[in-house]
Amino acid sequence: MYHYHYKRVFDTTASSAPAISLDMWRGATLILPLGIGAAVYGFAFGVLAAQVGFPAWGIGLMSIGVFAGSSQIAAVDQFATNGAVAGAVVAGMALNLRYLGIMASLSEVLRATPLMKKLLAVHVTADENWALTMSERARDPSVDADFLIGSGLMVVVMWTGSTVLGAWIGAGVPDLSGYGLGFAFTAAFIAMARGLWRGRRDLLPFASSFAATAVLVRFEVEGAFAILGGAAAGVIVSGAIRLAAAGRAGTAPERPS
Amino acid sequence: MTEAQWLLIGLLAAGTFAIRLTGLFVGDAVERRPALRAVLHDLPGCLVVALVASSLAGASLQAWLAAAVALAVAAWSNHVILTMAIGVGAFIAIGSLLQI
Repeated sequence: MYHYHYKRVFDTTASSAPAISLDMWRGATLILPLGIGAAVYGFAFGVLAAQVGFPAWGIGLMSIGVFAGSSQIAAVDQFATNGAVAGAVVAGMALNLRYLGIMASLSEVLRATPLMKKLLAVHVTADENWALTMSERARDPSVDADFLIGSGLMVVVMWTGSTVLGAWIGAGVPDLSGYGLGFAFTAAFIAMARGLWRGRRDLLPFASSFAATAVLVRFEVEGAFAILGGAAAGVIVSGAIRLAAAGRAGTAPERPS
Repeated sequence: MTEAQWLLIGLLAAGTFAIRLTGLFVGDAVERRPALRAVLHDLPGCLVVALVASSLAGASLQAWLAAAVALAVAAWSNHVILTMAIGVGAFIAIGSLLQI
């Protein structure tokens, strides 16, 4: 309970401006191990982005402004491959749809938070500090928006810093595409797919998505449309499987986890 | 930066913030609709697989073999950086083996 006492003291010293509370510091320090993981990934992304023509400061701007790793990678990859903005943005945003669920789970944590602070919390919520906040809160219900914001700001700093450093170094080295740097994007997507794999029920949807995309690319459908079309095929197959299973069981479709 | 790069960053930033904000206010309502929820949960995985497929379609044997290695590493480790590092290493190694 000691930090609750200190938080009260801190809060009385600054009523209007967002103050740095002890909970923010606690979040910022506890997130460090997870932040280092994000920073390694950020460094790799920075190198890739610089190699496809983004300046280091532009990557920094993107990391602060977007602050969503996998969507930044997908968008930069699509932009570098096709040069089309709309397709790259849609591909990146589709990967961020998980934030609907993540943010929904935070509505209780942010209920009493003032608007400006709430908007800050919304922007700095990433997978890492969300997971840490939820697990800390399960142990100690006094963990609140300050912890989320403090840990989130630390991830913002580490993510942005590492992407800029990567881009700065990436711009200084010669063209690495001959050394398989382009394949690093493919490998990153393979790893992301593994992370999103929920078990054998994903096999047919994933396979359909892969096959449909390959066919669309083969028929020279423009990059982003091939990807969205392929993903749609996978989602439809997944829905069909779910409906068929529900039909066999004679019940309403079960909720996916 | 080019105009297109500015546009990409601006739109992705605005769109991502909009999704996060929407989630805070109506995420619960969305999650309570089974059909919508199912689509939202299925889409990211299928989309990432589609990204893999589009980068491999028409690619060299070297890329396909390296992708198989990366898939094995990902399946075993479930670790992004490790998969990228070993994947690129395999790409280079396979490239030099195919040249022999």
